[in-house]
Amino acid sequence: MSIPELKISGLRVAVDHKEILRGVDLAVRGGEIHAVMGPNGTGKSTLASTLMGHPKYEVTAGEASLDGEDLFAMGVDERALKGLFLAMQYPSEVSGVSNANFMRIALNARRGEGNEVPVLKFHRELKEKMKSLSIDETFAERYLNEGFSGGEKKRNEILQMTVLRPRIAILDEIDSGLDIDALRIVADGVNGLRGPEFGALIITHYQRLLEYIHPDFVHVMMQGRIVRSGGRELVEQLEARGYDWLKEELGIADETVGAGA
Amino acid sequence: MSVVQDVSTFAGSVRDCFTDAGDSQSLVQDRVDAAVRSEALPVPKYERSDLARRNLAAYSVAGPERAGDWRALAEPFIGADDGHPLLVIADGHVVLTRGLEGLSGQGVVFTSLRGAVREHADLTRSLGTVVPSDDRLLALNAALWRDGAFVFVPKGVRMERPLQLVHVTTTAGHGTFPRNLIVAEADSQVTFLDAYASAGDLPDELCVAVTEVTVGRGARVKAGTVQDFSRSVTSVAVRRAAVDAAGEMDWVTGETGDGFGIVEFGSELDGEGGRSSAHAIAIGTGRAHLDLTARMVHAGRHTTSDISARGVMQDRANAVYRGLTVIKKDAHDANGSQTEKLLMLSPKSRAVAIPMLLIDENDVKCGHAASVGQINPDQLFYLMSRGVSERAAKRMIVWGFIDPVLAELPIDAVRTAMEKVVERKLA
Repeated sequence: MSIPELKISGLRVAVDHKEILRGVDLAVRGGEIHAVMGPNGTGKSTLASTLMGHPKYEVTAGEASLDGEDLFAMGVDERALKGLFLAMQYPSEVSGVSNANFMRIALNARRGEGNEVPVLKFHRELKEKMKSLSIDETFAERYLNEGFSGGEKKRNEILQMTVLRPRIAILDEIDSGLDIDALRIVADGVNGLRGPEFGALIITHYQRLLEYIHPDFVHVMMQGRIVRSGGRELVEQLEARGYDWLKEELGIADETVGAGA
Repeated sequence: MSVVQDVSTFAGSVRDCFTDAGDSQSLVQDRVDAAVRSEALPVPKYERSDLARRNLAAYSVAGPERAGDWRALAEPFIGADDGHPLLVIADGHVVLTRGLEGLSGQGVVFTSLRGAVREHADLTRSLGTVVPSDDRLLALNAALWRDGAFVFVPKGVRMERPLQLVHVTTTAGHGTFPRNLIVAEADSQVTFLDAYASAGDLPDELCVAVTEVTVGRGARVKAGTVQDFSRSVTSVAVRRAAVDAAGEMDWVTGETGDGFGIVEFGSELDGEGGRSSAHAIAIGTGRAHLDLTARMVHAGRHTTSDISARGVMQDRANAVYRGLTVIKKDAHDANGSQTEKLLMLSPKSRAVAIPMLLIDENDVKCGHAASVGQINPDQLFYLMSRGVSERAAKRMIVWGFIDPVLAELPIDAVRTAMEKVVERKLA
């Protein structure tokens, strides 16, 4: 397998004719963990949903590619089949399909016809993965996310990620609403996938998650743009001084999208 | 000695036809009375479902002389022989029975209604009392019913295996008039399952179907119906139960026809502490028009009812769902709840949900919820983001929507048949 690469350049995105992203450039390669940080309302989640292809987000300019192929020319399912994954902030509940069956269907779609995973093998491996993520076995047979608590849904997202083994994973505020134990479990799940064939884009506005998943690159978003990139030391700076010093340095009064436009 | 009667040509031909067919004199008289009434009574009115625009003359007094080729139509609903008693009626004739004889040891009767009226006159007295002939089409059924199932379960007998009727129409122009009567005596228990289907290429056909159930004190009846009529069929089905004290009546209905269908089903909770549920699911395709009313009437104290109806409309299909909970005066502590949920899969499909609560008593609990909508784009996005195609994702969502009701169908083979029909309709 080749080293995956997600490349974004000059990306502009609007929702209901309002521009949210105003020129984003970013490249995530296999073996790299990128963190995108920033206060609320600066466009982080818009970036995540746009890359996966949520119909609400309209790409008005710029491009993105996965392994050299035009991402925006692909449907949502095609992007997933090419190895893109989005762990969502608010995963949907879908009744009628069990968690385990859904994951098996998704995995088989990824593996392609004729290369389906044997059922027993799938369930054995799923059981192990659930155990390592401290997810109760009964969740396998429950309807997809139905009646799961916020924290259970987040862990279920990570479970799906470890089952599907994407090439590039985007984690959209996977840490919100998680206690410290759950945070560590989620981090273990991500760290377990680290390697040259896996790249990740972790969106968060807390530094806490990054104590457990050490990013190679850190980006700060404000006003729908990446305003500062650096290494792990940037996290420490933000930890110590908050976002205000950066706003001051950049001459930004209001960091949210639309302000100062 | 014959009594000379001045009746219309229609009633006269009803008399001649069913006398020739061997019905008892009293049954023939009931038919003639109903025929006379049918000519005087108005066509039932359903708001949003205009029966006057349909061909209500697509029937004849005499039914088909013999059954047509019924196997291909009936077999999907029969499934493998798991030993449950079975009655198959095609074009008004009993064409197959299975496992009916073994029932008599417990005093249970499961037979054709026509035969039962002849042989068990004492047991069929409630015929026509639960669903009276109070409009033209119900009276037409009372005059012309060709056959159907009769179920009698004596006091205290609990039937474990379900009893099944499969009813098919292979030729058009005669009209399809099934009629069923289920009598469950005190503390008995029975599950009855009926399926109706018609050949796909029929010209206009009128179908009026009636099911009457009497649920004795402390008895429990479960009735599951599947209807899959073709495009040119106009069908009106009325299914009602009279539930005595502490009796329980559970209705399940699945409608997958392409034609114009009206279904009214539910219970009259007359005795204290009676309970009834009504689950419905409809899949509308093509230009199907489905008008479904679940109706619960609380007359007794401490009675409980629960209506849960779901529908999925695609193409240019049109659905009207009504939930009607009636609580009469002095029905203290009655509790009625209802939910109607409809999913529209295409821009040209139409659906409306009309919850109705008619309450004449203060000491009651009533709840209702109704929704009509399209597939949630966030759900679709979520499923597709895992690599599932749009088509497969939509099917998952639709299955999830109807599965809770489908799971209520009491015979595996019928549930499987229903699933296959749904699968085909959603393809």
